[in-house]
Amino acid sequence: MTGTLNLMIGLAMGLNLMALGSSRMPSLIRAMSVQGVVLGIMPLLMEHFAWPLTLIAVATVAVKGFIIPRLLQRAMRAANIDRDMEPLIGFIPSLLLGAGGTIAAMALARSLPLMPEHTGSLLVPGALASVLTGFVLLIGRTKAISQVCGYLILENGIYLFGLLLIKATPLMVEAGILLDLTVGVFVIGIIVDHIQRAFDSLDTRKLTVLRE
Amino acid sequence: MTVGSLLSVAAAGLIAGMALGLRRPRLWLGLTLVATAAGLAAALVVLLGGVPAWEWRGEFLIGGEKPHLLLDAISALFLALLSVLGGAGAAYSRDYWSDTDYPKSAGRGRLWWSALVLMMGLVLTSANGLHFLFGWELFTVAAYFLITLENRRRRVRSAGWLYLAASHVGTLCLFAFFALVAERTSGSWDLGPHLRAQAGLAPLFWLALVGFGVKAGMFPLHVWLPSAHANAPSHVSAMLSGMALKMGIYGLVRFSGWLPLPPQAGWVVIGLGAVGALFGIAFAFAQNDFKRLLAYCSVENIGVILVGLGGAMLAAAHGDIAWGRLALAGALLHIWNHGLFKALLFFGAGSVLHATGTREMSRLGGLWHRMPWTAGLFTLGAVAVSGLPPLNGFVSEWLVYLGLFEAGITHGPAAWAAMPVAIVLGMAGALALASFVKAGTLVFCGAPRTKRVAHAHEAGPWMLGPMLALAGACVTIGLAPAYLWPVVARVCATWNPAWAFTGPAPAPLATLGAVHVALAVLALAAAAGLWWRARANGLRHGLTWDCGYAAPTARMQYTGGSFAGIAAGWFGWLLQTEASLHRPRGLLPERAHRVERVPETVLERLIGPVAAGALRVSTAVRRLQHGRLQAYILYLVVGLAALGVLVFLEGTQ
Amino acid sequence: MTITILGFALRLALWLLLAPLLPGLINKVKAWVAGRRGPPVLQLYYDLARLWRKGVVLSTLASPGFIIAPAVAWVALVGAALLLPLGPGGTALSFRGDVLLMIYLLALARFCTVWAAMETGSAFEGMGSVREVSYAVLTEAAIIAAVLSLCVHTGGLSLATILAPAAGAGAALLAGGLFTVLLAENCRVPFDDPNTHLELTMIHEVMVLDHSGPPLAAILHGASVKLLLFSVLLVQAVIPLGDLSPLAAGGALAGGVLVVTIGVGLVESLLARFAFRQVPFLLTLAFLLCLFALLVAWKGGAA
Repeated sequence: MTGTLNLMIGLAMGLNLMALGSSRMPSLIRAMSVQGVVLGIMPLLMEHFAWPLTLIAVATVAVKGFIIPRLLQRAMRAANIDRDMEPLIGFIPSLLLGAGGTIAAMALARSLPLMPEHTGSLLVPGALASVLTGFVLLIGRTKAISQVCGYLILENGIYLFGLLLIKATPLMVEAGILLDLTVGVFVIGIIVDHIQRAFDSLDTRKLTVLRE
Repeated sequence: MTVGSLLSVAAAGLIAGMALGLRRPRLWLGLTLVATAAGLAAALVVLLGGVPAWEWRGEFLIGGEKPHLLLDAISALFLALLSVLGGAGAAYSRDYWSDTDYPKSAGRGRLWWSALVLMMGLVLTSANGLHFLFGWELFTVAAYFLITLENRRRRVRSAGWLYLAASHVGTLCLFAFFALVAERTSGSWDLGPHLRAQAGLAPLFWLALVGFGVKAGMFPLHVWLPSAHANAPSHVSAMLSGMALKMGIYGLVRFSGWLPLPPQAGWVVIGLGAVGALFGIAFAFAQNDFKRLLAYCSVENIGVILVGLGGAMLAAAHGDIAWGRLALAGALLHIWNHGLFKALLFFGAGSVLHATGTREMSRLGGLWHRMPWTAGLFTLGAVAVSGLPPLNGFVSEWLVYLGLFEAGITHGPAAWAAMPVAIVLGMAGALALASFVKAGTLVFCGAPRTKRVAHAHEAGPWMLGPMLALAGACVTIGLAPAYLWPVVARVCATWNPAWAFTGPAPAPLATLGAVHVALAVLALAAAAGLWWRARANGLRHGLTWDCGYAAPTARMQYTGGSFAGIAAGWFGWLLQTEASLHRPRGLLPERAHRVERVPETVLERLIGPVAAGALRVSTAVRRLQHGRLQAYILYLVVGLAALGVLVFLEGTQ
Repeated sequence: MTITILGFALRLALWLLLAPLLPGLINKVKAWVAGRRGPPVLQLYYDLARLWRKGVVLSTLASPGFIIAPAVAWVALVGAALLLPLGPGGTALSFRGDVLLMIYLLALARFCTVWAAMETGSAFEGMGSVREVSYAVLTEAAIIAAVLSLCVHTGGLSLATILAPAAGAGAALLAGGLFTVLLAENCRVPFDDPNTHLELTMIHEVMVLDHSGPPLAAILHGASVKLLLFSVLLVQAVIPLGDLSPLAAGGALAGGVLVVTIGVGLVESLLARFAFRQVPFLLTLAFLLCLFALLVAWKGGAA
């Protein structure tokens, strides 16, 4: 069981790097959505079968894997951009940062006081690496949509942390977060559309002059 | 003859050389060659195990201390290199810096050369902290006068000043180091392995690291190195790069063996080494000045040596003898190898400079036609310095790699350092190859870029002779590395007696040597065969095919800047290349140019601003010093009053 | 003694004779995908024989090094190939650290090719040389990481011991990384186009523009040996040949090399050459794959 789980977390880590390295918006969104699907299936592998759990998993997969990406794609098309041309942190440096962060997360997870059943698993390094990836994207990209993707990957990291406590936390909390996210992305999609119409650009650096 | 008498002969020869060097060049050369041969013989006697170590204590006082000389395997390793380079450089300087070309400075050059070799020998054999410092300071000064032989040129003077200033920062640290060692060992300046038992000395290693690191050109303390090596006469550059840097390494090897080490020492040294290797060679690749490129490459090679030494310290800290010994052996062998091929390359650069008068690679080119011997020997040196088989550079880098790989296999904590460092060394090696392809081909291949270059002349036998000797040494070490293992093993055992080793070489050096010989023979045979076949089929000469363009000119060739373009771009954040661009404008534009300059980033962007700040503060303070007697008396009164207040406050408590 | 010499000669003959088959196979695959008949599989053999008989045009600027360097490069490449074990055939010579010798022999070959290219003073050759030596910095890092991962995984330091056992969990990562390195080092499509005649876009092909006759034959043959070397290395790094019976291992090795060759052909048919500014990105990716293989090997060993 742990083997399959680790393989999936490894896959999620690879998708992190793909997200960091992709200059084209659609592949960034795809990396994020595939990661969402992979993470959505994971609770099913960790626990025995139970209806509420399955329901949440299906909802997660649907929202992270399909609904949010669809919304983002629509926003992208509406705004008529498909590339982040001038990132603040270049693609190769962000890749190297992500890889370094992943290795550092592995090293850090070894020295954390974890529960004995979690020591062999990649859950903690995977979570740390995803959070870091999210931050790199949020800091290093200039377009609003790629920043949204960064935020979603960051949330995926937090979700992975949540899986550590899957026995303790009710999945309702996660469901609530999921709902917030969907609404948030929906709103962003609308805002993006409006910003694009008003300013003819989605460069968040230009939003610094919008005070009050 | 005993080691002692050989060393006396060497010292006497050098002192006589100092006395006679100003007026009698031939006699001086003979004396220097005899002295260095004697020094080499003494070193070899110790290295080959004739005598375990030679020790001598005088019963008189110099500067309040009894002299204590010690020539053990570690000193002998360095003394052998010093002797070889001292002799080779002296012979090379006969034509290169002759009395006819430089009537004013040639005599001084000979005098200071003898002094430099003598003082370095004194440092290597001195086992008394005070005398070590004497020798160190005098050797620094002798090197300063050699760097500034051509003191009418401003650049040379400023390079000399920078060297002197940086050296004194290092000497300051060493002064503190030796004084504190003496203070913590109840006032004795005597040095030796007995210090290892005193745990309280461990933190002093950091002082030694900075002090010796400055001299060794350890990144980022290398700021003085490029300009000094580029502007010094080439035989001096060869000595500085081949030997003077190694004096810093000698200090580190010596005192990491004699003193207890702080636990982090290995991590810091191996890290500094890896960073220095990669960044040093990145800077080298971007240079356009031939000798500056060689100088920066020394920073890389010092990095490789430090990686091996740091690995050995790590291994010693964790009790892993097997791989630590390999890394240390690689570092020690690289000391010799780098000294040999770097001197060869600097001699080659000197011949080019002598023949053409420029160090700018973009003005050279096509020199193989005029200087075939120099070109061939430089190519050999380039293969060796790039660490390629079957020459000596590969042997030592291979040992360092083996140490790092074995460290990775053992899964100890040291592997966290060893594995990334191995990868960084691989990248540095690829960049070194790129740098030396660039240097060699821009200078010797293609078409001459200026008229003066087209009429260059081959160097004379006195300049080619030392180069041939050094090249022969490079080839010999490359083809027969196994014979060196006993020497290196003896030095390892001196460094740490627990690492003594008697069996056959743990690394299959003999097999490697056999493969190298086979490779060299086959390469020669294949080259001859291909040449014969080409001749037999018919050899025609024609213009270089430039995609149908019928009139290629020398200016169409790739330049140094364009050669470095891609990879230097990756290190742009480090190199901070400054470019001034004059674009072509209008129809039939007349002028257009682009000039690139790679600044000394650490010096100009890091130390420069800090120094400027310090200068500003001192200027402000200096206003207090304006020469008015009244004000000085006022200061006195204020000072006395302050003292009085202090006394009063003490009294009331 | 006779048997060793005989075995050695057989191994040498195998490398020298089979190597030129690979480019022919790749071209056949490309032709098949494009629906053409394509040149015969043995085309490179014909080319080599023809070049060996041809005369040489030497640039007036070039030194004798222009002919010596291809010979040295060829010896270095064949020497590197002979160090590799051949599945059940074992290796001709094996010692601790021979893996580093192999990597540096490849570097020696690169040094010679680039040096010879720069001899002519042509700007085109200059361009190719710069690309070759610059991208090598990244491939070198990837190869060292890959080899290190194999060493850490198996605890050995010679090619024979690190290539025989299973590559473990990192095999997929290693395969991806090494395949990308293979494409880059042998100047195949996403990095370079062996068929193009636009000098501005090439790496390896542009460096040999001025070579002709027997030296060009040595260069082309050396390049094919290098391709075979990387394929054999890749197959042995990924497939645990040491666990199979000799016959199966031999078959697996041959089949694996065939699969790699077809893979290269398919990549060339389906992908276009990347823009040069994307090459470092792709090579960084290959390096990271190898680095993560190293990490997996490290974790596997520690647990």
